[in-house]
Amino acid sequence: MSLEVEILLVDDSAEDVELTVLALRRNKISNNIQIAEDGAEALDFLFCRGPHRGRSFSSRPKLILLDLKLPKVDGLEVLRAIRGDERTKTIPVVILTSSKEQKDVIDGYNLGVSAYIQKPVDFNQFAETIRQVGMFWLVINQAPPAGVFAASKAKGA
Amino acid sequence: MPLSSKAIAACALVILISIGMLSYRSTVRDEEDRGWVTHTHLVLEKLQAVLIDVTQAEGGQRGFVLTGEEKYLHPYRGAIDHVQRDMEEVGKLTADNPTQQDAIKGLKPVVDARLALLAGLMAIRRQTGLMAGAEAVAKGNSEALMNEIRARISEMRSTEERLLKIRMETAAAGTRKMKAVIVLGNGLAILILSVAGMVIRRETGKRDLAEKELKHVNEHLEQRTAELSDTNGELESFSYSVAHDLRAPLRQIAGYSSVLLQDCGPSLDAEERRYLEKVEEGARKMGRLVDDLLSLSKIGRQELALQDTPLDSLLRQVVEDLGPECSGREVEWRIGSLFSAECDPALMKQVFVNLLSNAVKYTGKRERAVIEVGQIMENDLRVIFVRDNGAGFEMQYVGKLFGVFQRLHKARDFEGTGVGLAIVQRIIRKHGGRIWAEAELDRGATFFFTLGSAENKITRKPQHLIRNEAIYVA
Repeated sequence: MSLEVEILLVDDSAEDVELTVLALRRNKISNNIQIAEDGAEALDFLFCRGPHRGRSFSSRPKLILLDLKLPKVDGLEVLRAIRGDERTKTIPVVILTSSKEQKDVIDGYNLGVSAYIQKPVDFNQFAETIRQVGMFWLVINQAPPAGVFAASKAKGA
Repeated sequence: MPLSSKAIAACALVILISIGMLSYRSTVRDEEDRGWVTHTHLVLEKLQAVLIDVTQAEGGQRGFVLTGEEKYLHPYRGAIDHVQRDMEEVGKLTADNPTQQDAIKGLKPVVDARLALLAGLMAIRRQTGLMAGAEAVAKGNSEALMNEIRARISEMRSTEERLLKIRMETAAAGTRKMKAVIVLGNGLAILILSVAGMVIRRETGKRDLAEKELKHVNEHLEQRTAELSDTNGELESFSYSVAHDLRAPLRQIAGYSSVLLQDCGPSLDAEERRYLEKVEEGARKMGRLVDDLLSLSKIGRQELALQDTPLDSLLRQVVEDLGPECSGREVEWRIGSLFSAECDPALMKQVFVNLLSNAVKYTGKRERAVIEVGQIMENDLRVIFVRDNGAGFEMQYVGKLFGVFQRLHKARDFEGTGVGLAIVQRIIRKHGGRIWAEAELDRGATFFFTLGSAENKITRKPQHLIRNEAIYVA
């Protein structure tokens, strides 16, 4: 069994994924990153469906980095699904996107996003942003105890 | 109603009133004239009555003298009674005419003499009988007296007839005049009415036409507005999506070149590293451009969140924030006191940030930069100004100053995207204000702006420069 996934990175741009992973690795934040290239893939992973049938709800990612413009199921839809399910609603979700459109920001917060960050163009700034995000959510922040929420849903279901 | 129509209406009113007065006066005069004609007829009639009375008296006396019968005295007595009264009436009726008064005075003794003669003859008849009476009648001068009476009355009549003729002529002339006045007046009234009708019809026609034109213009304007707003919306969403979608590849260019520089930097020679740095720098610049473009398009779509804002504290905050940009330089801030304004504080802050950082930027080559911010009064409007002693520009290019991507300086001399002032102008215009600039090459530039909303207009007397400055040296 591989290590537990710490970060689920949802982004359809291979380059953006690579640069994000590079930034994370450089800052030695995490080696356990799960990539989803569209919203449907992200939901399959989170809800242990399709290729991720065998996965357990108890091993939840500690942080989801979510792009908004995604094929198939867009970022806000993914966010809605995450926040709408007992088993996933407490996972910190940070929107990491090109858009600073006010409507997107408002919709994101209305759907319960944990933070909203516009990707800086400058790579050094970007790397610094990623470092701070990783540091905060994976190290400083006290994450919700995964087992409790997964169990409560299992009982209820 | 235009002035000429008012004048026409006033004229028409005066004419109509004059015609009315003239008609009334003509009618009154006509009545008077006719009254005089009737009066003259009455005088003639009375004169005739006097003659008849005298004749009747004579007739009655003759009958008595011939027959001795008292019954003939009856008309005689009646005539005697009448003749005095009739003469008196003639006298009264001609009271206004001295000629006739003299004539009637002349007539009266003759008539009296004649009547006295008659009375005398009748007395002779009574006392001495028919023969003596007849003889007295025959030899008496009664015929001469009678003739004189006739002559005098005839004279008076002809005087009166002359008068009648004159008066009838006057009356006829008056009537003619009245007829003329009525005909002319009515004609004029009809003319005025027709002209008024024409004028009204023409004015109505003009108004209808103007209304039609106005409606047409309005429709056109509405259509244009709708088109403009559509175009504007399309443009905004286009520029937004361009800016938005441009960021992704830019990030990749900047990102990969940075990574390359960091990973392989040590093994690259100086020239190779410089090339990579240029790639990175280009991407960064374009990133800033895109971000500026984004905020410009955002301001276009954004609703103003107006609130009463103390511009003083806003300005001080901006000056403080600019501290790092001024480090290592001598910058003197002269900050006057500003008013509170009804505005969007976030956007207003952006205005100050852009104008002041421009001032800081363009004074970069000065040994000692002086940046002044204050408020003046112009036409009862408060005008805020930002003045620097920097590079300035030539006034012939002032028209380009606020255009997007327009730059008056080489990038080598002063960096910039050419969007900052466009953003400032858009914000000021959104507030209903106006922005303009005065400058001289190498002598500095001054930017002036107003905030146009009604709350920001005050009616105090112009106070000109308010010099209540605090001096900050960064």
